[in-house]
Amino acid sequence: MGAIMSAMGSLPANVSTIPMRCLVGATVVFNEPICREHFRLRLGLPGRFSPTKPGQFVQLGCRPPGGGQNQEALLGQCIEWDTAIPPKLTQTELCEELALLRRPFSLAGRGDNATGTWIDVIHRVVGTGTQWLAHLAAGDRVDLIGPLGNQFELPDDKSLGLLVGGGVGLPPMFYLAQWMHQAGWDVVGFVGATTRDLLAVTCNSGQEPDPGGLPTHCIEEFSQFNFPAVVTTDDGSQGLMGRVTDGLEPLLRGLSVPRRRQAVVFVCGPQAMMQATAHLAQAYGVDCQVCLEQAMACGMGTCQSCVVKIHDQPGDIGETGDWRYKLACTDGPVFNAQDVAWA
Amino acid sequence: MNGEEPSLNVNLAGLKLANPMMTASGTCGYCFEYADLLDLSRLGAFVTKTITAKPRKGNEAYRIVETRGGMLNAIGLANVGLEVFLKEKLPQLRQLRASGPRIIVNIAGHDANEFAELATHVSAEDDIDAIELNVSCPNVAGGLDFGTNPDLLEPLVAKVRQSITPNINLIVKLSPNVGDICQTARAAINGGANILSMINTYTALTVDVYHRRPRLANGTGGLSGPAIRPLAVYLVNRVYQNVARQANVPIIAMGGIQYWQDAAEFILAGASALAVGTGLFINPATPTNISDQLVSWLSKLGYNHLEQAVGSLQMPTAATDTHSQ
Ligand SMILES: Cc1cc2nc3c(=O)[nH]c(=O)nc-3n(C[C@H](O)[C@H](O)[C@H](O)COP(=O)(O)OP(=O)(O)OC[C@H]3O[C@@H](n4cnc5c(N)ncnc54)[C@H](O)[C@@H]3O)c2cc1C
Ligand SMILES: Cc1cc2nc3c(=O)[nH]c(=O)nc-3n(C[C@H](O)[C@H](O)[C@H](O)COP(=O)(O)O)c2cc1C
Ligand code: FES
Repeated sequence: MGAIMSAMGSLPANVSTIPMRCLVGATVVFNEPICREHFRLRLGLPGRFSPTKPGQFVQLGCRPPGGGQNQEALLGQCIEWDTAIPPKLTQTELCEELALLRRPFSLAGRGDNATGTWIDVIHRVVGTGTQWLAHLAAGDRVDLIGPLGNQFELPDDKSLGLLVGGGVGLPPMFYLAQWMHQAGWDVVGFVGATTRDLLAVTCNSGQEPDPGGLPTHCIEEFSQFNFPAVVTTDDGSQGLMGRVTDGLEPLLRGLSVPRRRQAVVFVCGPQAMMQATAHLAQAYGVDCQVCLEQAMACGMGTCQSCVVKIHDQPGDIGETGDWRYKLACTDGPVFNAQDVAWA
Repeated sequence: MNGEEPSLNVNLAGLKLANPMMTASGTCGYCFEYADLLDLSRLGAFVTKTITAKPRKGNEAYRIVETRGGMLNAIGLANVGLEVFLKEKLPQLRQLRASGPRIIVNIAGHDANEFAELATHVSAEDDIDAIELNVSCPNVAGGLDFGTNPDLLEPLVAKVRQSITPNINLIVKLSPNVGDICQTARAAINGGANILSMINTYTALTVDVYHRRPRLANGTGGLSGPAIRPLAVYLVNRVYQNVARQANVPIIAMGGIQYWQDAAEFILAGASALAVGTGLFINPATPTNISDQLVSWLSKLGYNHLEQAVGSLQMPTAATDTHSQ
């Protein structure tokens, strides 16, 4: 922490409300396959990591920490070389394809113990960076910047959480479930995937998800907090056949109007799925918070790459026309669904 | 060596910096965005995102895509505009300046008049040490004209120079997307730039091979990061040797700087100061890490001042530009 505190030297008092982000080295505790293409990666962080909330994410370096030139070893010391001979550097970047930028991953869980903090991310192998992550084993080192982004809000006047996750949108829902359990909410999970072996969840043995779409204690990530869940697959290979909204709608329909007012839909997943879910929630008069995962370079609010269209809010300054771009990385990733100007 | 650490002080044609490390425009926000991850007070200078007369929303997403060793961006100069900049961001920059770094405001206009007007407003403010002209943003319509055409660039720079207070340093940021960068460098200097910065991004294209369309919403984008570093080092050396050294105009170099070795290459090639762009996304503390490590490097070389290393690259005498295989 010493280094971090000294780096705060330039931070004036009036911006100290920024949650403290840091670049930390982490050790892989485990990296275990969950289903096809998906892994749960648990990282051990030294000391106490800044407080985190569900919806927040970290920027993982998907390459050996310190970069191709082994900066960690060189940091603070001068390498020895004979000026007549060029310095010998291991330029990993020349031999293999490695991700340059960090990759954003939602927090899927967190715990603190005497030696430090652990965080979970669940990653799906889709390209260069995630391929590298897939090969990590216990004891390997990675570095990350975090915690980043805002969080899901749990309004005081609400008490029923409908947690909707599709594909790689599921991980933040697991962390949210953990948090809602502590906050004493009732929760139903809605888990969607294209097919059975891409469902990044742990199914309780002997507890097949209901093919009719009834909530049951079938998914460990939810049932460990005594929350039921509904599973949908596009091809019907597990749970209800259909989209995740096909699982959500009957439940919304069954809620009394006063109960709908106490409910909040939380959703993360592919754009079309989030949009459909948001419309459904609106149709039933239920509040909805969406976690928008836009492509990011910095994740820290500097590059302007992760823009999402958000309707102007009362109090916004400057003319924009009916919407303005906000940054998924610092204004989000969580937004009120009704504020999003969907494409 | 007398046991003292080599000095990193830099004097850029009168603009004095505690060290050569800067942030590159558009990669560090407006001021305190990295404050908890980078000790901003240890920067030589802070360079803002490009400011335009009116706020700009910028391009549609996707605005970035990674390529091997680099990234393409097509942000489209999204920025808060001059009014909000002066009202909200400048007070923060003043606070930052009081802690050490010099403040450089990067601006872009649609035409020479708008450039001049912006520069007038900005230079009227206290605590701004230099104005950097972004004449080379490849991501906005017409944005390339000034940066690639020396006949347009020189009068533009002259007009801006006339419209700002004489004590403000004028930096022109050169585009690499030209046939002969020495011509635009010369035009910038003739117009009245007393510092050059180089380079902006290379116009580039990546393709979504399944949908047969560009991977950026804008179509093309600007390539930055380690992929462009050797190209940038070459251009810096070319401008240094052929234009800047004789004119006594210092160069702020950027393009793929991530490690101290990268910075050292640029210094030897002729750069007096260095900016980190894409590297900040990977580690915001890159500039201060490099500062520390440059000190060790300079002492290894037996220099006691950074300026001794500037341009000390020894090119083979017979070196020609276009080498034959
Ligand atoms: C806030 C946030 C939270 C996130 N949370 C999670 C999470 O919890 N879990 C998770 O798994 N993911 C998450 N993501 C997504 C994750 O960041 C990306 O999957 C990851 O960045 C992919 O990196 P990569 O290097 O593996 O893929 P890349 O190499 O960047 O490739 C991305 C995709 O583009 C395709 N592609 C590459 N080149 C071409 C081409 N020329 N033509 C067509 N297609 C091409 C690849 O096949 C791949 O599908 C999150 C994203 C955000 C913004
Ligand atoms: C996301 C992004 C945004 C940028 N925005 C600007 C800008 O607004 N104005 C500008 O003059 N240069 C801009 N640049 C160019 C950088 O300042 C720099 O010249 C270039 O990226 C090369 O340096 P690098 O390889 O270290 O990134 C931008 C670069 C990136 C990657
Ligand atoms: S990812 Fe850079 S501003 Fe959001």
